Amino acid sequence: MGDKGKFELENRNEDPINYASSVSDWGFGGANLTNTSIGLVPKVNPMAVSKGGLIGSSSCSSTSMVDAFGPTIWDHHANSENLGFCDNGVQKNASTSDTFGIRKGDPVALRSIDKTFDMVWNPTSSMLKGDIFLTNSHAMLPQRLTPFPADSAFIERAARFSCFNGGNFSDMFNPFAVPESMGLYSGAGGVMQGTQEAFAGSGLKSVSGGQSQKNEPSVGEVSKDVSLSVEHGAAGGSPPKDERSQSHVRSHEESKQRSGGSGNDSDEAELSGAGDQDEPSVLEGAGREPFARGLDSRKRKRNGQDAKLDPAKGAARQSGDCAKDNTEIQQTGDQNPTSTTNRSSGKHGKQGSQASDPPKEEYIHVRARRGQATNSHSLAERVRREKISERMKFLQDLVPGCSKVTGKAVMLDEIINYVQSLQRQVEFLSMKLATVNPRLDFNVEGLLAKDILPSRVATSSTLGFSPDMPMAYPPLHPSQRGLIQAGLPGMGSSSDLLQRTIHSQLTPMAGGFKEPTQLPNVWDDELHNVIQMSYGTSAPSNTQDEDGSLPSGQMKVEL
Amino acid sequence: MRSPSSLKQEFLKRWMRGLQRCTSSKKDMNVLERKKVIKLSADLAIASARNGTTSWSRALIANASRDNDNRILAERILGPESDILIKRVSTSVGTVSCNRKIRSKKILKRSCNSVRRVRKGTHLPQKVLAKSIAKRLVQKRTQILKRLVPGGEFMDELSLIEETLDYIAYLRAQVDVMRCIASATELINHD
Repeated sequence: MGDKGKFELENRNEDPINYASSVSDWGFGGANLTNTSIGLVPKVNPMAVSKGGLIGSSSCSSTSMVDAFGPTIWDHHANSENLGFCDNGVQKNASTSDTFGIRKGDPVALRSIDKTFDMVWNPTSSMLKGDIFLTNSHAMLPQRLTPFPADSAFIERAARFSCFNGGNFSDMFNPFAVPESMGLYSGAGGVMQGTQEAFAGSGLKSVSGGQSQKNEPSVGEVSKDVSLSVEHGAAGGSPPKDERSQSHVRSHEESKQRSGGSGNDSDEAELSGAGDQDEPSVLEGAGREPFARGLDSRKRKRNGQDAKLDPAKGAARQSGDCAKDNTEIQQTGDQNPTSTTNRSSGKHGKQGSQASDPPKEEYIHVRARRGQATNSHSLAERVRREKISERMKFLQDLVPGCSKVTGKAVMLDEIINYVQSLQRQVEFLSMKLATVNPRLDFNVEGLLAKDILPSRVATSSTLGFSPDMPMAYPPLHPSQRGLIQAGLPGMGSSSDLLQRTIHSQLTPMAGGFKEPTQLPNVWDDELHNVIQMSYGTSAPSNTQDEDGSLPSGQMKVEL
Repeated sequence: MRSPSSLKQEFLKRWMRGLQRCTSSKKDMNVLERKKVIKLSADLAIASARNGTTSWSRALIANASRDNDNRILAERILGPESDILIKRVSTSVGTVSCNRKIRSKKILKRSCNSVRRVRKGTHLPQKVLAKSIAKRLVQKRTQILKRLVPGGEFMDELSLIEETLDYIAYLRAQVDVMRCIASATELINHD
């Protein structure tokens, strides 16, 4: 079968329709397959070619289906890129024939095709057309494919998307993507800005094309993701100054995206001023502000006397955010009033600089997209929805197996399942610890000294590479190395510092230690041995280095 | 910026401290008690690490200190800074209970509106129907999520999602650390 396939592939260099017929000749499983392939032959070439591409992509998607929780980082990467590419639509198909001309004589690919052909058969799916290239490139082994055709537009798009996604998904490699990725996002914001502007250009066009309120263009989502990332960089607890600058960027992006190409400077200024306090207020949470303020803000919505009340609050913050909140309060009405209450309660009153302005101008200026209602209700509602979708995208990165999912309901479902499974794991592990440890004296020193190396090897392998464990992320390794750097800053002698840190942690624990005095000595010896073994000839200063620190990482990685 | 490694370290440190504090008194506990202590100290460790910046941490501490029997334990685990923390938590809990009142009013209003809306359109176009179905689904799931995340019942969607993000990060840290310790302890015991 493989040889025959090879032969046929070689024969159908320029003729995709031939390929389609050869597909039917191969007689893959599923009677309907042959029928449909025959039926498709008279169709446009790209369709026939895309079938073969589907095969390749289906193999990849099947693999991604199989290990849903496993090291799916690259699958996520690939799939998200696929989604991005799907929107490019038909013009890709022109180049597909070239790819298939190139991809000949590849029996391995054919075998995978054989396996997976039954699973995914959707020739009319334009999504999978986009899947062709990227799943092939990322999920399949590289030696299976020759490089893509030198389609300049294709490469440019790939560069653009990979640039964007690279920033996105390098963050996924951290298991705690939330805090780290925020920093990385803010750092990579510069990079993403470039791509985002490219997106914004096309995105704005589609924005002005008048979409429904619920739908957001993929590009718009992309740009929103950038803003989200920047925004969450702010939300990560960075000092207010950083938050402001980042939210400036974010609001700038949002305003760019919303203004529909009209380039209204006042809008942007308002937005940036308005978005300024958004993040810090979000951070503060509902409970931070006294409740009276929440009530007052609700009253403010009725009276519209923001300016008068806010200076009375004596807040030092700027106006825009509170105004925006008031807009939301007014507009969301019954839909989600608690949200506005909580949010406004989290905000300080604004300064009375614009006391005399009519209420509308104090609020955030969100330009309505073409074809949408300009009702202030719906505007604020849309702002709120966009924020929610931004957060959801962030959650998508955090929860495994969610990058393919679109739509709030399914995303929420995934999140719920994930949280439940994590909670159950915690319960189970705490029970296990209780049984394993009869006296509840977790001898951290002893653990580290005696078991860190063998256990670390074992646990790192299990944690890192067992696909059946939902928590087994390869990203654990980078975080472990990060641990070393965090825990052993500027160490002269690793063993001393380790001891010092552990001891400092454990000094309150007077009671439960078994043989506290003996262990440090044991540990010293073991550590020295270990260090000599692991370092070899490298100097201790190498432990600071990411790559060199893996051996020493095994020491501390328990933490 | 909270890095995952520092999160784990912080968690471990506090957790060990809390455990030591509460095991110093009682000498023998049965398995369930131990499990409870472990879990509780872990929860409180991470919650105190957050220092009341997130809602779920406050809710965790509040829940822990609510029952009387847990309260003593919790206070002991939290140690000297417990009173400050609990005070901060209780103030936030006050606002939460007030939010409850407002929320019930909102629910009432919302239900009236929805009833009105349903009555108007007897046969809705497909799109609208699908949208409403989707909305119901989302609402239902949001409810579930609110129940899962501690302290999430009284939050709007936006902050709920943020709390969930934070909570997920914490849960992952907790699971990782506990798993490491468990496996290491097992290895020790097998030696």
